[in-house]
Amino acid sequence: MKPVLTTCGFCSCGCALYVEPADSRVVGLHPSENHPVSTGRLCIKGWNATPAVMGADRLKTPLIRKADSLEPASWDKAISFAASALKRILADSGPQSIGVIGSAKTTNEECYSLVKFARCVIGTPNIDGAHRFYDASLIHALLETTGTPASQIDVNSVAQAGSMLVVGANVMEQLAHIGSRIQDAAENGCRVVAADPRTSRIAPQTSLFLHPTPGTDLTWIRALLKTIIDRKLYVDHAPEIPGFEELVVSLDDVQAGRLEDACGIDPDAVGEAAQILASNPPLVVMFGLGVLQQFESSRIVKALADVAVLLGGSVMPLRGQNNAQGASDLGLSHDLLPGYRPLTDPGARKVCEILWDREPPTEPGMSAVDMILGCRSGAIKGLMIFGENLALSAPNTEETLSALDKVDFLAVSDLYLTETARLADVVFPACSFLEKDGTFTNIERRVQRVRKVFEPIGESKSDLDMIADLASALGRDISREPAKVMAEISADVPQYQGVSFKALDESWGQQWPLKGAAPKLTPVPAAAAESDREYPFRLIASRVNYHQQTGTMSARSTVLAREYPEAYAELNEGDAEKLGVRPWQPIRISSKSGALIRTLMLSASVPVGCVHVPHFFGGDSPNSLASYECDAVSGVPVYKACAVKVEAVR
Amino acid sequence: MKAGDALVLKKSDALMFFASLANEMRLVAPRHLFGGDVMFGVVESPKEIVWDYGHDIYPPKRFLLPHFEDMFRCENGKTARIENLADAPAQAIIGIRSCDVMAIRFQERFFASQIVDPYYKSRSDNTVLFSLVCNKPPKKECFCICCDAGPYLDSGFDVQLTDLGDRFLYEIGSEKGAKATEPGAYMLSEAGAPDFDVRRRIELQVDSLFETTAYIAKAINFISEDEVPSQVWEELGSMCFRCAACTNLCPVCTCYTVDDRPEADGSFTRCRSWDSCQYSGFTREASGHNPRPTFGARVQRRFYHKATYQYIMRDGKHGCVGCGRCVSACLTKLDLPSVIKRIRRAMHEYLEPQEKAAEV
Repeated sequence: MKPVLTTCGFCSCGCALYVEPADSRVVGLHPSENHPVSTGRLCIKGWNATPAVMGADRLKTPLIRKADSLEPASWDKAISFAASALKRILADSGPQSIGVIGSAKTTNEECYSLVKFARCVIGTPNIDGAHRFYDASLIHALLETTGTPASQIDVNSVAQAGSMLVVGANVMEQLAHIGSRIQDAAENGCRVVAADPRTSRIAPQTSLFLHPTPGTDLTWIRALLKTIIDRKLYVDHAPEIPGFEELVVSLDDVQAGRLEDACGIDPDAVGEAAQILASNPPLVVMFGLGVLQQFESSRIVKALADVAVLLGGSVMPLRGQNNAQGASDLGLSHDLLPGYRPLTDPGARKVCEILWDREPPTEPGMSAVDMILGCRSGAIKGLMIFGENLALSAPNTEETLSALDKVDFLAVSDLYLTETARLADVVFPACSFLEKDGTFTNIERRVQRVRKVFEPIGESKSDLDMIADLASALGRDISREPAKVMAEISADVPQYQGVSFKALDESWGQQWPLKGAAPKLTPVPAAAAESDREYPFRLIASRVNYHQQTGTMSARSTVLAREYPEAYAELNEGDAEKLGVRPWQPIRISSKSGALIRTLMLSASVPVGCVHVPHFFGGDSPNSLASYECDAVSGVPVYKACAVKVEAVR
Repeated sequence: MKAGDALVLKKSDALMFFASLANEMRLVAPRHLFGGDVMFGVVESPKEIVWDYGHDIYPPKRFLLPHFEDMFRCENGKTARIENLADAPAQAIIGIRSCDVMAIRFQERFFASQIVDPYYKSRSDNTVLFSLVCNKPPKKECFCICCDAGPYLDSGFDVQLTDLGDRFLYEIGSEKGAKATEPGAYMLSEAGAPDFDVRRRIELQVDSLFETTAYIAKAINFISEDEVPSQVWEELGSMCFRCAACTNLCPVCTCYTVDDRPEADGSFTRCRSWDSCQYSGFTREASGHNPRPTFGARVQRRFYHKATYQYIMRDGKHGCVGCGRCVSACLTKLDLPSVIKRIRRAMHEYLEPQEKAAEV
């Protein structure tokens, strides 16, 4: 059969793939040669995309809880079971006791329909996306600075950068196409400044590699800003940019002399970084989860955006999930309407009212983390999770699992019976991105078509179908046709104006335009996390090449899972010696919230006083060590730099 | 019709010629996908064939060694029943480039040596290769000329077509090719001296047009003699993005893995798919020991296969046909020409100081 052109469902690069079906099997897979991102190349996950979603243990029917077990059921039964549970909760405790968590892995159409379902069918303000657990901290921070909560440049423009600041990102392993462009840029003379507590694989491309103590990015970036201002390295018109004075004042307390103590960085190195970034335009500022999941993440993002604005550079947030951009654009968020419009924006409310046939709630709802806390406190009685394995992506795994277990009604939609789905009262078998139509929006704001390659496996359905079924069981009508939903999106969401399946089918997608707000500078006052003697180590959590998010998909590919057979953690040789542990011995890493056991490996790239715990296929996640502490502005949990204790397991 | 015959196929007859062949076998040829992408696939009609396609990125080796294939299904019951799922349809691969023909000949020898792979053999027995001479290098990445695998062939093809303007020179190279010529033979006429003159001009011209020159011979010596310092391999390994496209898309590479897809009752389907020596799991032993423990060691492994005496001793050629796919598919610059260049440079960097030291 003819290969079907679609968009890869792993990372946010958004490569164009051809997948060749033969009956319900896949016999071929290759990248598009002319697509602007894939350019005939794929990363290891892209090449292994099909086995990852076609695991033998794919859910094939809905499941309904009967006492202690989940039993197969028909779709009719599962939908009416869910609908009556929702009706009961609505009648007893009102819509605000229901929470809905969507996924940045689903299509734009599914995200939008889910928002509509939550806000206007159920009527709850508690709708959020799983990007809350990853990178949602960039949204408000960038809205206030660059004005664009997205990358300002294309993937291909990365190769043309004159200088680059890359903070807290394992970009070579997690976003290979961007990493490849960084290599191209470096080869063309681009000066790369990287900052990461651990020496990552970007090191050979860098002119300067800063190793801040985990959790201290704000401190050294403030020093960088101060240097840029004191040495007048900024672009000529910078003092006229709104917020310049406030920024200057907010940096008054920066003490270069204390930098070494505070974050382990030589003040001269910060000076050198400022010089490199200022004298090699065009500058691109990139940051990944290392920043976005840190203490005070929103403030660090603002500080990095300030660096870019002062030096006339561009910002490119490195987002992980394939549709993180689209999910944010389409309002999968507890505090914004689609298109990043405030819940109180009269114009946006008017459009929603017309299109959605009911007024959405005006007050912000609970964020994803708050919903988990709500399950624990009883404020949330019903929780619906679409396409996210909270058991591994949410913080404080032990507490989270008991909260999910406690909630009266839990519905989960996923490809596989994840740790989260096992706790559900009803499980909906979802189909993968190869089995449905729709669109994803990639890291460069490119809205691209996702096309059905083969029919859904078993009785699985797209989330769009499920949402339509649920809405109809609750007496409302939501379209199950992706093209129609996109027509509604383009009428509602300013960034998606003019986007249609027809137009997308004739091109390599459409990038939503960069227009609107002029850049602003924002003040970045200091903040410091407290250290704790009982937990003297700092956690460095990362993902390896072969692993994506919680591993629900990537772990099913034998080739990917095979690369990484041992759940390990890394220590510096000196620390290992002090603790009296040897390589290949099990070590216990614990925090106030949890503990996990890993095999010890030694690594010179891990700094003293830190333990590096990569995400691993199945079982445990370094996220379990995090508490429910969140960035105050965005509600993104603080996963990075947690205070932990490391011990030998005797 | 017999091997060695040289004929002429008028372009105006080409459609009809291949339509008559389509009665005998399926036609696999380059065809348009989206936005300028061209890829080999089964064509419904010879009208779909793109004759001026340049070069594709996904090698036609997959019509003999599929990227993903179901081999057999074992049904669990009182007596296990094994059902063969592999198919080997009669097929003509039309428009395949010389490099890919040479690569398939490599694979045929490999899969027929020692234990014959029946899946590969039945497919290759049923496949006729209609190769197309490159009148100019199809892509800037091409370096077949450094590997004696193109841009045209003297032997090894079933049928070789050369575009002479309004007609193809139609050379039969094998019995298989002769047999596949029969249905449309009435459309062919004997080639004359002017046809060979044009052909010769094309050959002389194309040879001078290659951009990529991989000076392989010296590097083969260095690699075969294990003279390349391990730092060089490790440095190369540190650049690698671990996608394995270099080996997956190499038309010579034969490695595969097998996977069993289980069913609830214990039945299973055995599937095979392309595998790569660039993965650590490829060589890691059950004990956990890995004879190729680092990325550098695995890059070295790849070049032992592509550019050493090993294949030359066995097959008379090194294990690379210069198709250029490792150039276009690599996220960094670990393609054969770049690595060869790096090795040659490194030999100067590392050896010269030693020689100078020795002189003193």
